[in-house]
Amino acid sequence: MHDFLSFLPFLIIGAGAILLMLLSAFEKIQVEIASFVSMGFFGAAFFAQLLVGCGPEASLFAKVFNGMLVSSNFTMVAGLIILGCGFFTAVSSHSYFKVNLFCTLEFYCIMMFAACGMLLLTMAQELITAFIALEIMSLSIYILVGYDRANVTATEAILKYLILGAFAGAFFTMGTALIYGGAATTKFVEISTAISSGSASQPLLLAGVFFVFVALLFKAAAFPFHAWVIDVYEGASAPVTGFMATALKTAVFAVFANFLALSGELHSGWITFLFWVSVLTMFGGNLVAIGQSSLKRMLAASGIVHSGYLLIALVAISADHFTGSAIGYYLAAYAVSTLGIFAALSYLGGEGEKRATFDDFKGLAKVRPYSAAAITVFLLSMAGIPPTAGFMGKFYIITSAISAGQTALAVLLVVSSAFSMWYYLRLIINMYFHEAEDSFESIGSPLAGAGTLALVVCVFAIGLYPIVL
Amino acid sequence: MFEYALSVMIFLPILAGLAMLLFPISRGASRIAGMIVSLVVLLMGIELFLGFSGTGGMQYLENRPWIESLGIRYGLGVDGISLLVLMTSAVLFPMVFSIFTTRKKGYYANLLIAQGSMIGAICATDLVLFYIFWEIMLLPIFFMIGIYGGPKRLPATLKITIYTIAGSLLMLAALVYVGVSYHNQFGAWTFDIVQLGALNLGGGFAVLAFFMFMAAFAIKIPLFPFHTWLPDAYTEAPTATTFVLSAIMAKIGVYGVIRFVVPVFEIEFARFAILFSLAGVVGMMYCGLAAIAQKDMKRMLAFSSASHMGIIAVGVFCMNVQALTGSLFQIAAHATSTGVLFLFVGLMEERMGSRDIGDLGGIAYRAPIFATFFAIAMLASVGLPGTSGFIGEFLIILGAVKFNGFIGFLAGTSLIIGVCYMLWMFQRVFFEKTNERTLQFADLKVSEVLTFLPVIVLIMAMGIFPQAFITKIEPAAQLQVAQIFPTTQSDVAETTVLTPGHTNTKN
Repeated sequence: MHDFLSFLPFLIIGAGAILLMLLSAFEKIQVEIASFVSMGFFGAAFFAQLLVGCGPEASLFAKVFNGMLVSSNFTMVAGLIILGCGFFTAVSSHSYFKVNLFCTLEFYCIMMFAACGMLLLTMAQELITAFIALEIMSLSIYILVGYDRANVTATEAILKYLILGAFAGAFFTMGTALIYGGAATTKFVEISTAISSGSASQPLLLAGVFFVFVALLFKAAAFPFHAWVIDVYEGASAPVTGFMATALKTAVFAVFANFLALSGELHSGWITFLFWVSVLTMFGGNLVAIGQSSLKRMLAASGIVHSGYLLIALVAISADHFTGSAIGYYLAAYAVSTLGIFAALSYLGGEGEKRATFDDFKGLAKVRPYSAAAITVFLLSMAGIPPTAGFMGKFYIITSAISAGQTALAVLLVVSSAFSMWYYLRLIINMYFHEAEDSFESIGSPLAGAGTLALVVCVFAIGLYPIVL
Repeated sequence: MFEYALSVMIFLPILAGLAMLLFPISRGASRIAGMIVSLVVLLMGIELFLGFSGTGGMQYLENRPWIESLGIRYGLGVDGISLLVLMTSAVLFPMVFSIFTTRKKGYYANLLIAQGSMIGAICATDLVLFYIFWEIMLLPIFFMIGIYGGPKRLPATLKITIYTIAGSLLMLAALVYVGVSYHNQFGAWTFDIVQLGALNLGGGFAVLAFFMFMAAFAIKIPLFPFHTWLPDAYTEAPTATTFVLSAIMAKIGVYGVIRFVVPVFEIEFARFAILFSLAGVVGMMYCGLAAIAQKDMKRMLAFSSASHMGIIAVGVFCMNVQALTGSLFQIAAHATSTGVLFLFVGLMEERMGSRDIGDLGGIAYRAPIFATFFAIAMLASVGLPGTSGFIGEFLIILGAVKFNGFIGFLAGTSLIIGVCYMLWMFQRVFFEKTNERTLQFADLKVSEVLTFLPVIVLIMAMGIFPQAFITKIEPAAQLQVAQIFPTTQSDVAETTVLTPGHTNTKN
């Protein structure tokens, strides 16, 4: 029963996706209703996840899946984040597609399939399962990125993402094969015992783990595999970008952490590698972000920086008693603020996202003070200013880094946050300290505004009552 | 009823400010509301001050768990160190609401939020809670300078914000380091400053953490050479913001050093005290000399304020009771004198549209009351006996001479620079010839006189009866100094043991 309950959110989303697919095949409903349907399923799955809670770490349907799927506190938190992201993406899509008329029914159905893949990915404890989940997620996301077929930038984005993403997938399979060659298993637990007993063939394992890391770092947009992020984020429509930036990252980091945390030897062996990757990701991302003039590109680049912070949390996890609380908390904090910004962008962007650059948002506070205040809250949360969620997230990451003896990383994180202030402040300055040149007409439905407000509340609630820990 | 006094003093202004921002009310109503809130805070502050017993320990404690897994608590309290800083922030705010009547709603709201968060930073006894208020307090300042500031406000805003946030973030890392060290040594998480005092830090990381803390506070004070944001920010900010920055926010920097750095980093503090006191003295001289050269009155006062912050900082780094008491006293004295001078300049700018020293002259003939008030505040700021400034500076220099004769000598002499620029400015602005601009200068209205009078009286009272204030702060200062001194005195004890023929070690 417990297995079934832990699996329930996944089943709900899967059922919802299939239902929507059928409905759209027979063209029974309107796009608008489809968005409500998906909101409903995401909400139901979210509460199911919340109510079921989670016991200790448990293998799901061990007889059927043979220990491929494992649920734990950490997977539950990651699942909650993904489902929340799905819900708010549906909310902001609802408004977005009132103005940008390229949406069909399948949009929401594909989004739910993507969420299915992500949920599966967080629970995966075996490389092939992880690969399948990764591909379910990626394929759906490819489609979502290029959904606006008439738009050239979207087409460019999907092409870039598809080709590079396919490479990443190939790397993952390659890594799986090599690991299987070295350790004669694809299960995380057995890999870990093979490593610690010394029975595994070292060169094969080394290469295999490296390839798996490459694939995961690519999906997580870490240096040096970050170059695709900027163009893809810019090309995708605002709600999709928000979904990618949050839910996808959550899923990837969840599987990354699960993979790393199982074996102390694996973790300590790769710690130097991850150390440098995280440092370069933070500063590389900052350098890219500082130079951007388009808001979406800046957010993409700042997403790279946040990946760097999450990598620090990965460096600092301890394999002995892994809870993932710092990672889970930071992901939640990052997700609410990023989703919030994209929700605001999806109703402020205007038709065809005509407002896209920093300059386009000049004087927003004069015309739409509440929207500007909400965006400010999200930006401050991303910058890590108290009392927002982003601050507590950063606080936990610094704490875990210093506890793990990585004081240098903590200091570098702080320096990188100081750099990042520049581009977050820049938007705030544009919104508040300039006169308005635009009318910022209200478009779409009030739903996105309500979603934005809910996310503002979330930012403070998560920041002031950090329940995850 | 006073169980939650501090919480009320923190959150009443913050919530009132937020409510003001959220609901559409007129500018007049927002000013009145702000005035009422700040008066309530003032009354509570006075009640607190009178009820404060001055035994050296914390009073009005509030302590509740907040984030238990990391031992972070919602801890508030007031002792002799924070009392006067708290009082300054309670006393000075109503003046702003009373004087500046033509500002916008957001301006008053931001002022209230600034007040609440500053009181929060002053009262917090938990490092993390302190940090949170410390960061929040920058936000209203950021918006006030950026939205309501002078023509060159954008660069000034960016400068102060990025500068201070960079410092704060360094402090954040150091703060976590302190917490983790405590966890490693005692096996429990806490960020409570009293418990952190038991911490025994050493080694390179402790020095690094110490400097990271000091960077944050040195930027806020600002201590030479971290003062470069100050002239621009102070000049471009609207007067009330400059007033808040100079009278209270800078003081919280000094206060932070005393409250959070000294108990945790005794050894590092004692080791580098001479360096920082030198920085303080150099800052005094440098900013004082720069003040002489300024043409803009506000900019001149900005440098003067920085110069005076230098001497307050020197008092902290001298590590003896006299200097520390002097610094704490001078915090209030400086806020009431230099802070109020900023308000006067703001008034002059509002009435005459200029604050260039060259444009003005002969105001004393047109506005005698204004000139008298200005003169009293100015003389207090240069430390004339009989005013509050004298007591603080005297105590600091006394302590400085005890600490290091050279520093004491430098600090004493550089006070003269202050007299130079202040008196010269006063001569050019208030005497000499009246011109058409100053001819229309109206004297203070009754309401304005009533606003300024309490502070002017306070300046004199603090100068003539300083004992009433010093008795409240001295026990805490003694306690604080006693904390550092075991280390230094044990060093002394060890050296005497080594003298031949006079040993008390067991043979």
